Amino acid sequence: MIKAIKLEWLKIRNYKTFWVLLGMYFLALTIICFGGMFFLEYLKSEGAEFEGIDPTMLPIYDFPDIWQNMTYLGSFLRILLAFIVIITVNNDQIYNTLRQNIIDGVSKGEYLTSKLLFVVILAMISTLFVFIAGLINGALYSHVWGLEFLFDGTIFLFAYFYDIVIFCSLAFLLSLLFKKSGFVIVLLFLYSMMFEPILGVIIEHAVFLQDTIFQPMVNFLPVKALNNLITVPFPRYIFREITDYLPLGSFAIASAWLAFYLSAILLILKRRDLK
Amino acid sequence: MRTVLNISGLTKVFGKIKAVTDLNLSIHEGMVYGILGPNGSGKTTTLGMILDVVAPTNGSYSWFENEDPVAARKKIGAILETPCFYPYLTAVQNLKITAHIKECSELRIDDVLKKVGLYERRNDSFKGYSLGMKQRLSIGAALLADPPILILDEPTNGLDPQGIAEIRTLIREIAAQGKTIIMASHLLDEVQKVCTDFCILRNGIKLHEGTVAEILGDTNELELAAADMAQLGKLLSETSEIESYSIEGEMYKVILKPNHTSEDINKLCFEKGIILKKLVTKRKSLEQEFLKILKEK
Repeated sequence: MIKAIKLEWLKIRNYKTFWVLLGMYFLALTIICFGGMFFLEYLKSEGAEFEGIDPTMLPIYDFPDIWQNMTYLGSFLRILLAFIVIITVNNDQIYNTLRQNIIDGVSKGEYLTSKLLFVVILAMISTLFVFIAGLINGALYSHVWGLEFLFDGTIFLFAYFYDIVIFCSLAFLLSLLFKKSGFVIVLLFLYSMMFEPILGVIIEHAVFLQDTIFQPMVNFLPVKALNNLITVPFPRYIFREITDYLPLGSFAIASAWLAFYLSAILLILKRRDLK
Repeated sequence: MRTVLNISGLTKVFGKIKAVTDLNLSIHEGMVYGILGPNGSGKTTTLGMILDVVAPTNGSYSWFENEDPVAARKKIGAILETPCFYPYLTAVQNLKITAHIKECSELRIDDVLKKVGLYERRNDSFKGYSLGMKQRLSIGAALLADPPILILDEPTNGLDPQGIAEIRTLIREIAAQGKTIIMASHLLDEVQKVCTDFCILRNGIKLHEGTVAEILGDTNELELAAADMAQLGKLLSETSEIESYSIEGEMYKVILKPNHTSEDINKLCFEKGIILKKLVTKRKSLEQEFLKILKEK
């Protein structure tokens, strides 16, 4: 396992593009994690209010809600990590180094492991970052503080981590299927941010699909399945009911997609002629 | 001698094209084995299959009498077609990846780079290298783990004449250490100069297999020259051992009848008082034999 991690590390250690992209990702994540209160201040200055309440009074950084709020927002940035994965997988194909790695004595399973561990480590670092940011924000703004509150709701940190791993595995699969990295980046971006959400809305609200078996199927769509891991938390501030836990069904569907992506990757690696 | 590679019934079909058909080969320790064939004859596909980057349609292969193929590949230094490295990494950084995969020491990196003449450029990134330098780096990578087997696909492709000579010397040096080398080439001359054994592929079918020595015997063709060419010509016209002769520039080209050798002619001339200043028995070249085999089949 250490060997598989080191293989990937040797490839990216001196790869400038990787470090620049990673730097931009963490910059964006910093803004998202720490920008909440500034955003509410801005809303206040614009004269917005929620059911008569001053926006800055909203307890967005209160334990335990803070974990769902931050991981929900942070998970939007998973696409940047997916871009990094697309580029590194694509490099191995356009430079033919995937073939050379295998000739030199990497098995196809080991290749999958090394890329997957790379994704897992990226996701772990990102999760750790959100965790620390959560503690800092909580210390600054939370109305409750104490060990008994801190870890309540941290299941969302796990959901955040899992979400990144699965989304990046999808990116890995797509970049094996379509060898042009630019194409895969546009495809993944449009599909996850536009095509599937629109399709989801159509399935959920189209009159002719009302009360048919197709309607619940929306939760099986690959991106929707991931989005269901951490659902939108903010309606709670206008006193609507939200899903403030990790639903087992969503977890199962997302896990099935992960299993599918990994098996498909392994199948492609085993079957494809690397010419 | 131990068998290092055994191929049985290996077949690869790409759509409608049969790239390799029912190939059987057995390569023993210490051989320098040439796979000879025109472009598109299935050489690289065959090497791709035994290195697990092309999935065979049928048939099987085994390394070192049934060793696990992944473990076996760590003991094989191989290059297939073009050199494949990370362009943004330097020679040293690229070879560190190779060393990591092969589980061999990084200490040999400097030695290997010196051997292939890239030591001075070791800290430059690969993308700035010329084709010849890239080719030499890939040979360096193949040598890095000091493997008992080398697989070289068109190893002198893209090199200048000096580079070609250097690589051929290097291959002979490595072969002299008792290592096994499997080499694909469309250059007959290269196989003739370096290999001990060879096979010929055409359209994915093995046409011939054998040793280089047995195919490169003497021919019945002589080249003769003497100070007095007219006298030599007269002698040749009277001699019964000769099938035919012709004058070519400053010498006679003579075809002997079967069961006669250059010795007979030399003796004859000596008896008649003709002093030869040139007497050469032409040797067969792989090129002629290659063309003959292709024509026969």
